[in-house]
Amino acid sequence: MIYISNLESSEQGGATTTDSDPSGVSEAENTIIATDITVQYDSVIALDHFSINIPKGIVGLLGPNGAGKSTFIKTVLGLVMPQHGDILVDGLDPRKDVMSIRDRVGYMPEHDCLIDAMTGVEMVAFFGRLSGMSKEDTIPRSHEVLDFVGLGEERYRPISTYSTGMKQRAKLAQAIVHDPEILFLDEPTNGMDPLGREEMLTLIGRIGASNKSILVSSHILQDMEQICQHVIIINNGKAIMQGTMAALLDQGDSRKRLKVRGKPDSILKFVEHLRQKLEVLSTSEEYGQLTIVLTNRGGSDVILNLARDDGIQIRAYLPDRITLEDVFIRSVKEEI
Amino acid sequence: MGLDLIGYKPWNGKRTEHNRRFLVIADSIVKQKLSSRWLLGLLILGTFLVHIIPIILNSLRPHEVLESSVMIDYMEGGLFYIFDIILVSLVCSDLIAEDIRSNSIVLYLSRALPPERYLIGKWLGAMSVICLFTLVPPLAMSVAITATQTGPDYVASLAVIGQTFLAGLWTALFLVPIGLMISALTNKKTYAGVGTFMFFFVLSIVAAILSQMSNDWTLLSPQNVLNDTYHVLFGLTLPGDVNLVLLGVMAFALTVPPIIPVYYRILRKGVGK
Repeated sequence: MIYISNLESSEQGGATTTDSDPSGVSEAENTIIATDITVQYDSVIALDHFSINIPKGIVGLLGPNGAGKSTFIKTVLGLVMPQHGDILVDGLDPRKDVMSIRDRVGYMPEHDCLIDAMTGVEMVAFFGRLSGMSKEDTIPRSHEVLDFVGLGEERYRPISTYSTGMKQRAKLAQAIVHDPEILFLDEPTNGMDPLGREEMLTLIGRIGASNKSILVSSHILQDMEQICQHVIIINNGKAIMQGTMAALLDQGDSRKRLKVRGKPDSILKFVEHLRQKLEVLSTSEEYGQLTIVLTNRGGSDVILNLARDDGIQIRAYLPDRITLEDVFIRSVKEEI
Repeated sequence: MGLDLIGYKPWNGKRTEHNRRFLVIADSIVKQKLSSRWLLGLLILGTFLVHIIPIILNSLRPHEVLESSVMIDYMEGGLFYIFDIILVSLVCSDLIAEDIRSNSIVLYLSRALPPERYLIGKWLGAMSVICLFTLVPPLAMSVAITATQTGPDYVASLAVIGQTFLAGLWTALFLVPIGLMISALTNKKTYAGVGTFMFFFVLSIVAAILSQMSNDWTLLSPQNVLNDTYHVLFGLTLPGDVNLVLLGVMAFALTVPPIIPVYYRILRKGVGK
């Protein structure tokens, strides 16, 4: 796995790969430490020697469908026992202290999981009581969390009549009713419209601001980019990359994106000249325009001079911005 | 519906009722069942047809003491058994099937609630509702007969009241595991309800057919097993042709093994299989 930290600088623009400190934080600050976990369902290996350290804050667990995200959450909850490896949640081992761990955790599953016959407030209060809260405490607390997630008068309606967005809010409410220290959110924006998605992300951000550890599993990368401070990318049951969001997206000031137009043979000559003077990372052609990603620590005059000499039009010359999607696709492709 | 701009407030209370979680499940089942008009209607109808009339008749009839034969005649009645199995079918049908269908079983088990406690909660909830029919009215009848007895032997009557308590409790204990098992085998409560009723009904028919070969086959019928165990509980002699060992085996087979698949089904569903 590649660990990316922005604590150290490197030639590639401030981000570096390191094998010594997985999360970029000290071990004591990690909420969950998984070492060499293997989980197998019959012949399918869901987690394959999976090792990650999850720090406090909002952490995104990214991966394609079937990558092992939900299995990892279930392993932490002690619902699935690993065949191999060790896992510690707040210093507790799910094999020995599974109930203590579950008492500290709130879980919002991916799929529908609500009790249709109950009203929103009944269900949240019910799960509050199942978390060990007294009857006197659960009622005001349920209303408090339902206010927080934005379920108004709908809370008195049976859950079977809820829209997908309301169900997602109710799922979040039941996960936080007992004020857990660690929150697992599995695809929290699943099936929500853009406005609802935005609101859900705001809610997660607010919970995260109250010093909770939140592990968000999702394949909607824009959402993750918006809220997560730390990202773990997994694929085929393996953790393939982890680091802070800032480090993952930091390409450094020297990485530039150059767009040029011109005659095909002139462009070829220009690229060849460019390679002799600068580090060209990639080239791609689209609609008769060539996009070149390169590293240039100096000024732009080298490029301008080359373009003038080779008869090339420069259409754009900008710092290269990378999205989480780019990082994700690149790391998954590298893994393949 | 807009987003209410209330910030997240941590909760500073203490969670003190960890050991009562299964009671929360049981309590929720009782409330839910008793708020169902269908079930309440059935309970009222059954109570009137099966219990009220015998209570009135047996209390008014001149008697010196509460006799176990009176109680056993009443509890062995076919109508009592039919209402028992209809009630079990209705009460148990959705207990686990609905949690599996809606996936809410994952929410239960992601709490600090082991599968066995979840199961105990469900079982206790079902038992509480079923006992409203199988335990409370027989107890009321035994108390009513004792209260109207002309003889002085209240100790003997009290003993029969105790036996009635055990018999009523045993009826629920005997019927609920099958209801839970069939509810756990499907994720459709209708199938579970019909399946539970058919299980008891079909076994009775098969027992009646096979009993022509050997009388031991009568114990394949849950109704016969239940009635014969009443004899044991009330301290009466069993009919001569009943094999006591076979009766014990059948009573065990219909109450303990059915819980095992329920437990494993809950375990598997908890991990999303």
